[in-house]
Amino acid sequence: MSERSIDVDLTRSSSGQVVKERIYKWLLFACAALTVFVTVAIIYTLARDAITFFDLVPAAEFFTETEWFVRGDGGNFGVWPLVSATLIITVVSAMVAVPTGVAAAVYLSEYATDRMRSVLKPALEILAGIPTVVYGYLALVYLTPALQAIGIPVGTFNLLSASIMVGIMIIPMVSSLSEDAMSSVPDSLRQAGYGMGATKYEVSTGIVIPAAISGIFSSFILALSRAIGETMIVVMAAGLRPRMFNFSNPLNNLLSSGQPMTAGMVNAVTSDATGGSATYLSMFALGLTLFVITFAMNLASDFVAARYQEEYQ
Amino acid sequence: MATDQRTGDWYGTDEAVSRLRGQAFKSLCLGATLLALVSVFVLLLYVANDAFRPLSADIGWLLTFAASLLLPTLGATGYYYTRDARAGETAAIALGLPVVSLLLTGGVFITLEHIVTVYQWASIVVALAIAAAVVFAHGRVRTSADLERFIVLVAVPIAALVLIPDLILSLPMLPTEALALLGSVVVPVAVVVGWFVRRQRENDRDGAIAAGLTLVVAAAGLGLAPVVGLSPFVWMLLVVVTAVPVGLYVESVVRRGAGTAGLAFPVLVAGGVIVGVVVTEALGFAGPNSWLDWGFLTDPPSRTPEDAGFYPPLVGSVMMLLVIVVSAFPVGVGAAVYLEEYAPDRGWWGRLVDLIEVNIGNLAGVPSVVYGVLGLALFIRQGGLGSGTALVGGFTVSLLILPIVIISSQEAISAVPDSMREASYGMGATRWQTVRNVVLPEALPGIMTGNILAMGRAIGETAPLLIIGAPAVVRIAPDSFTSKFSAMPRQIYTWSSEIDAAFQHGVLAAGVMTLLVVLLLMNGAAIIIRNKYQRRD
Repeated sequence: MSERSIDVDLTRSSSGQVVKERIYKWLLFACAALTVFVTVAIIYTLARDAITFFDLVPAAEFFTETEWFVRGDGGNFGVWPLVSATLIITVVSAMVAVPTGVAAAVYLSEYATDRMRSVLKPALEILAGIPTVVYGYLALVYLTPALQAIGIPVGTFNLLSASIMVGIMIIPMVSSLSEDAMSSVPDSLRQAGYGMGATKYEVSTGIVIPAAISGIFSSFILALSRAIGETMIVVMAAGLRPRMFNFSNPLNNLLSSGQPMTAGMVNAVTSDATGGSATYLSMFALGLTLFVITFAMNLASDFVAARYQEEYQ
Repeated sequence: MATDQRTGDWYGTDEAVSRLRGQAFKSLCLGATLLALVSVFVLLLYVANDAFRPLSADIGWLLTFAASLLLPTLGATGYYYTRDARAGETAAIALGLPVVSLLLTGGVFITLEHIVTVYQWASIVVALAIAAAVVFAHGRVRTSADLERFIVLVAVPIAALVLIPDLILSLPMLPTEALALLGSVVVPVAVVVGWFVRRQRENDRDGAIAAGLTLVVAAAGLGLAPVVGLSPFVWMLLVVVTAVPVGLYVESVVRRGAGTAGLAFPVLVAGGVIVGVVVTEALGFAGPNSWLDWGFLTDPPSRTPEDAGFYPPLVGSVMMLLVIVVSAFPVGVGAAVYLEEYAPDRGWWGRLVDLIEVNIGNLAGVPSVVYGVLGLALFIRQGGLGSGTALVGGFTVSLLILPIVIISSQEAISAVPDSMREASYGMGATRWQTVRNVVLPEALPGIMTGNILAMGRAIGETAPLLIIGAPAVVRIAPDSFTSKFSAMPRQIYTWSSEIDAAFQHGVLAAGVMTLLVVLLLMNGAAIIIRNKYQRRD
């Protein structure tokens, strides 16, 4: 580089240069615009085939009936058994992940020494990087027998161990997003708390958590949307038999197998149903429902984080 | 303050500042953090135990290896931890780099074995070299025709890639495979190594030495490899993919002079393994009857657990990653460059860009199974590609990781200080020149980290593969991007429906362990790159 003479005209601007710059700009813009195309394509493809599905199966049956069974290309398609299984998974996994995740976030943001943090944070990151098929395997082969061993009468496929695993899977998400929210609470607030004679416990629970509450809630919503969309754990550990929520004995629902919406989609495509049949197309209707729910939850999370955020200078 | 009674008392006015409550809360929080980590860690220990079955080995075997491998490495770790943190870091990299690059060597070997033959690769390299020569010559002849040069830059490589490879492959006489590899892989790597060393040292002679050394050591394989029982082909791959990075690293540590004690660590590990093997062979101790062994990695799947292997899914995963690297990364980085460098902040165009950013954030939260449906509809039903092929799998997972690639690349690009951009503009550079010469090189480590992590995500994705119809079992490794493929997680899912305990606690554990080791190495490499990069700032 150094031996080249510097007699270049720096202010030179040929029309070719300008055109070239424009081409690059539009190429890069096309890359960014591709993401919008992806969203549109998801909605379009799901909606188109979902509409065909509702030609074959009345929407009233889909949204009101409480029985879902698939026999060959046909069957009865009432979505509630799948929705109830998804809800069970979501609620139980939230019960696992929310307290644990928030407590972990408080520890990492308020109590941990630098050295401790430098060990725990990468460890949690690794936890977040484990594929869901591995979690599913752990739930099926190790957790379910362990639950049976301590006397909980769960079946080979059951919603309980699947929910616990989904909960463990989303802990890193809750903890890292909540910790981000807590670390962005300005130190001056903490100092003021200490100045008022507060203990570290009082500062954490009385000042930091309330100040970061919008970020914490948005992390809950994101994590729950992840739980709703989780596929492999529930397919492997919860089984593929749809079962309507049994109101007379709610706890029993946890012990038996169930089929959440994502598992229903996998079942529809891996069964022998021919393309274009109601069974096959039910995948698109379920997919659209799932997409709408998770998309709405993600938007809600953004909204909560932005709307209720405390502004600090 | 005295007038404001609403806020209540000062803290601690009840004279009962409870240490106990604070301590209890702290331990509760720590306990919660550890609960998540320890529960998964314990389960993974069970998996490792099932996969390797260390207790099935003779007690003598275990003791020998404990003495030859475990104690020395533990001692060294303790020494590094307490005395010499710098050397500890060197030790981690010096052990990790050979392992990661061996993994990479395996990937390249699989690629050249099943996906692109050496001759195809060589013809592509020749075509690109000719194209580069033409572009360079054109630039010398017509220095000021910018637009024309741009067209040549785009058109000539494409023309070369379309015309020349077929021409070369139809030649009556082709050199032997090893010579083709020497020309098409070793020579380019040697040139890159020379260029890299020259740039780092700003010294032509060192660059030439590095390039020459690479070439000579690799070429020596033509004669030496059979002596040590390797094919020249494997020798050359080992030299260029494993030995070169390791050599460069060792040399840089020695030159730096700090933390050189860490270089002893991999030697200690390798020596421990060799001593352990020699001693146990001599004394006749049997090793563990591990499920995860060489046969598992090189055999096709089978219905009998003892014969079951993982090779076709391994090849499938490599093919899928290749598709992803080619499709998702350029688009993702391009989008990130646009959003960070070009996008206006205000006006209706700025609002459009805001919309794109919100949309990317939301796409990152869409369930993977939905992407599977998208891939099915878009590529198979609309695009007419075959169901369950590596191409469709790669494209589908590319769409899935695109938001992750974009977001992490954006972070890396926005971390480049503005002063560097302004310096570049001040020198009269255009926006694209600034991006290409200043922003991208500076952000490259961050972008690499994000991309490797995204690849880790991609390699574990299962649900989209189920939806696009990747077959449950593939017995013969796929040999083209349009043949049916199975990836590692897909095969694990297939095995999970076998009820036999030998599958559940043996073959499956081995498959899961393989997947996790690959992932761990990838994530470790990403974290090391990130740490190195962060310190430099």
